[in-house]
Amino acid sequence: MTTKRRDELLVGLLLLVAVVLGIGGTIWIARGGLASGYPMFTRFKWGAGLKQGQPVLLAGVQVGYVAKVDLIPDGTIAVTLKLQSQYKVPAGTTATVQANGIFGDQLIALTPIIGRQGYMSAGDTIPTGVASPGVPELLGKGDSIALNLRALTDEARTQFVAGGGVKDVRQTVADLTRLVAQLSAVTAEQSKQLTLTQQTVRRTLASVDSAKVDSAVKNLQATSAQIEQLTRDFKQTNAQVQGVLDKVNNGTGTAAKMLNDPAVYARLDTLLLRVDSLVMDLKKNPKKYINLRIF
Amino acid sequence: MRPTGMVVRLAERRAEGLLRALGKRAYFARDIVRGVRDPGTWIPETIRQMRTIGVESVPLTIIVAAFLGGVTAFQTRYQLFPGVQLSVVGLITRQSIVLELGPLLTALVLTGRVGARMTAEIGTMRVTEQIDALETLAFDPVAYLALPRFLAGIVMLPVLVVLANTAAIISAWGILVTSTDVRTSDFLDGLRLAFTAFQVVYSLIKAFLFGAAIAFVCSYEGYVTEAGAEGVGRSTALAVVIASVCILVLDALVAAVLAPFIQA
Repeated sequence: MTTKRRDELLVGLLLLVAVVLGIGGTIWIARGGLASGYPMFTRFKWGAGLKQGQPVLLAGVQVGYVAKVDLIPDGTIAVTLKLQSQYKVPAGTTATVQANGIFGDQLIALTPIIGRQGYMSAGDTIPTGVASPGVPELLGKGDSIALNLRALTDEARTQFVAGGGVKDVRQTVADLTRLVAQLSAVTAEQSKQLTLTQQTVRRTLASVDSAKVDSAVKNLQATSAQIEQLTRDFKQTNAQVQGVLDKVNNGTGTAAKMLNDPAVYARLDTLLLRVDSLVMDLKKNPKKYINLRIF
Repeated sequence: MRPTGMVVRLAERRAEGLLRALGKRAYFARDIVRGVRDPGTWIPETIRQMRTIGVESVPLTIIVAAFLGGVTAFQTRYQLFPGVQLSVVGLITRQSIVLELGPLLTALVLTGRVGARMTAEIGTMRVTEQIDALETLAFDPVAYLALPRFLAGIVMLPVLVVLANTAAIISAWGILVTSTDVRTSDFLDGLRLAFTAFQVVYSLIKAFLFGAAIAFVCSYEGYVTEAGAEGVGRSTALAVVIASVCILVLDALVAAVLAPFIQA
């Protein structure tokens, strides 16, 4: 191969490589890869902060990127999304613009509805959902919280510094310190007494004669058995008495009749009256009844 | 003579020298354009120059770009504030390389490697009267010496810049993934963020202008070399300096004119 032909070949090869790299690389970066995707569309209000290349997430998984942003005079922007072919957007999915990091970058979040059947078609327009609060809203909340904190701080300063609250707190702390010291002393004394008591108990326990204890326990057991027998006898006696009382209450038997029959009472009353009259007559006329003769 | 008069005379002389220098270069540019009429003179030499400027510069260009991309990405990662998403590294690295560092550093490196060689070659031919011989043989020396280098410069610089950008981005990706906590997905997200094809065109426009500047300045300085070997050395050094300054000025001008169109 001549030098001229080799030069031409090398230069041509270099040019070819550069063209392939330049065009292929540009397409690869601009389209998010060489794989073909499909377009979908959505719309947002002006000021959404979207630009080409920002990621598109479906349920948190990146499925594509923003391919194009067109400004519409009616106050909206038409956003063309380029989604990867292997992902399909479920029906009912909504699109929102969300913050990507804390420095103002954005992404488009596609939020599907769980359990919804079917998928959207390529070229459909995804409806806009309710956006989460952005950085300005969060900053506004932060300002509000800061204002509240400032008011609280001012009030605390007024109460604690101007109103002498700090002095009171210091006094309270000093009192508490003294109280704690006293409690510590009492605790130490009680601990000492408890230790002594414990030692005494230990000594007492050590001096107890186990034979005496056994004898006492046996006596206690015998006494307990006697009490148990006594209780059984008492229960038996009680049952018998209860039976007698039942008979009396039922009106069966002589005693019951004496207690329960009014006729018996009337006869006894009559008998007592007659006895009274007899006694009186006896007192009045003893000789009538007593005729004592000696010899 | 009064001091004021001397200053005026000096200023006049300087202005005249500057204008004459500009005029000479304008004539040289005109001769380059005229040389296009004789393709048989410049086409074979253009291919040879394209190999010299382009093919033989590929290793140096890739090595420089690989280090450039790796260091840029590494520095970018460690200058980020905590909380910034890591994809920003890919975005900043891409913008730095494609829009600025790739074309600029490639051109400056090639100024030293290719431009100095051009000046030395043509200057040596001038001081050894080979150019005079070409004129005697009815060859157009500008069409034979300057035009092929100019064409090779404006064609091969963009080619080399494409290679440099590619090598730098690949190097940046490799360094980030192996040496930092940036993942491939983060890098690719940033690489694609707010990317437009015009950013590549912008890079190629710069490369085209830088290639033209290197070839033109270095060819001219070689073509007007005087005073033997010492003159060749002086012309070579002057050519490198002027070409480098021209590259920086052109870089600023292109940025001033086109930067608003590539705002991320």
